[in-house]
Amino acid sequence: MELRAADSLDDALEVLSHRGDQCQVLAGGTDVMIQLARGEIAPAVLLHVEKLDELRGVEANGDTRLGPLVTHRDLAKGLLGERFRSIAESAATVGGLQTQVVGTVGGNICNASPAADTLPALLVHDAQVTLRSSAASRTVPLQDFVVGRRATTRGPDELLTAITLVTPGERTGDVYLKVGRRSAMEVAIVGLAMRLAFDPDGTVNDARIALASVGPCPMRSADAEAALVGGGLEPDSIDAAADAVLRDITPMDDVRGSAAYRRRVIPGLLRKAADLCSQRAGTGSPDGEG
Amino acid sequence: MEMTFTVNGTQAKVEIDPAETLLGVLRERLRLTGTKEGCNEGECGACTVLVDGLPVDSCIYSAAATGGRRVETVEGLTLDELGRDLQAAFVAAGGVQCGFCTPGFIATLVSVLRENEAPSEDDLRTALAGNICRCTGYSQILDAVAATVSRRNGR
Repeated sequence: MELRAADSLDDALEVLSHRGDQCQVLAGGTDVMIQLARGEIAPAVLLHVEKLDELRGVEANGDTRLGPLVTHRDLAKGLLGERFRSIAESAATVGGLQTQVVGTVGGNICNASPAADTLPALLVHDAQVTLRSSAASRTVPLQDFVVGRRATTRGPDELLTAITLVTPGERTGDVYLKVGRRSAMEVAIVGLAMRLAFDPDGTVNDARIALASVGPCPMRSADAEAALVGGGLEPDSIDAAADAVLRDITPMDDVRGSAAYRRRVIPGLLRKAADLCSQRAGTGSPDGEG
Repeated sequence: MEMTFTVNGTQAKVEIDPAETLLGVLRERLRLTGTKEGCNEGECGACTVLVDGLPVDSCIYSAAATGGRRVETVEGLTLDELGRDLQAAFVAAGGVQCGFCTPGFIATLVSVLRENEAPSEDDLRTALAGNICRCTGYSQILDAVAATVSRRNGR
């Protein structure tokens, strides 16, 4: 095994253009180092990108653009501000402090775990990912990039170089809720992110709902989103959204929980998430929290 | 390949394999065995050390990525005043039972208390979520931190 520590983006892209199919990109390493130790991967080249400071920045200029080397800890501390609370909340549940200070959002995306916490939160903010190779650059919606269990459409010569989010407008609230057996150091049994925008009278005019750990990859439920738009979060519309989510998901039985349990928690999670979004948007009743 | 870094204030130059972990370098190459190997997959925090002041699980931290950085282990941290205060408070409060998790707890706590001299109990519980004490001596550990905080802020 050979180690290449990229000292510039061009340098990294150069290595990928020649030997991309034999390369494992390593940023924080919190997933890759474990996969190496378990023998799950045995790349000919380990490409370290974690010293590329140009991949670490955050720009808010209309849209919000962040570099893939932004750490979970940065996000959990609220680097993106009050309008991206779901992203902060999701990052705060990725492992403990020791993994959050090292693990990166780009790594969470490219590792493409079905249970990746930040992905539902990124999805509800209409995340797009930019991939560069030495020859070209392309930007695609996150839901078209992560296509299956640990599978993305990243080409062997490509590097994830930016994540772009649509900055929410006024009267918008977002939240990430995670179901686990304990409240820390847990892989999600179900993760749910929601972002709702409201008219001044409290009618939902825009909805985004995304889930993790309910299928091969984190996903949005467009029918559930449609079920909430135009209403005021009445019990009937929450029930309709829950029915839509339950039609869209394909949960499995695993060591953490059964498929039936995963289905069982969805309606309650949607109710709780909707109330928190409403409250955070400044349109809900004050007793919504918790 | 060769890697140079600073460990407990001293520069070290070691030969490493590309996929080697920082924990391997500390324990096997430098014989700094105060840092423990627990789960070896970033779940238990027994191997926590500070890299450029931040607590990391050294069992899943790339040795190669450590090049040029500053590492502090329990051996160095307990020469520092804050580390010494914590060590004494752990002893006094019974925060050490089998002792296997202790070096990792000390490392995380030094980093937390450097950043915030008076963390709330909630802050502490959150910061310590990645350090597991299998003797379940968490209450005594939190007592030791409380004693350290009040002693240091009382000065």
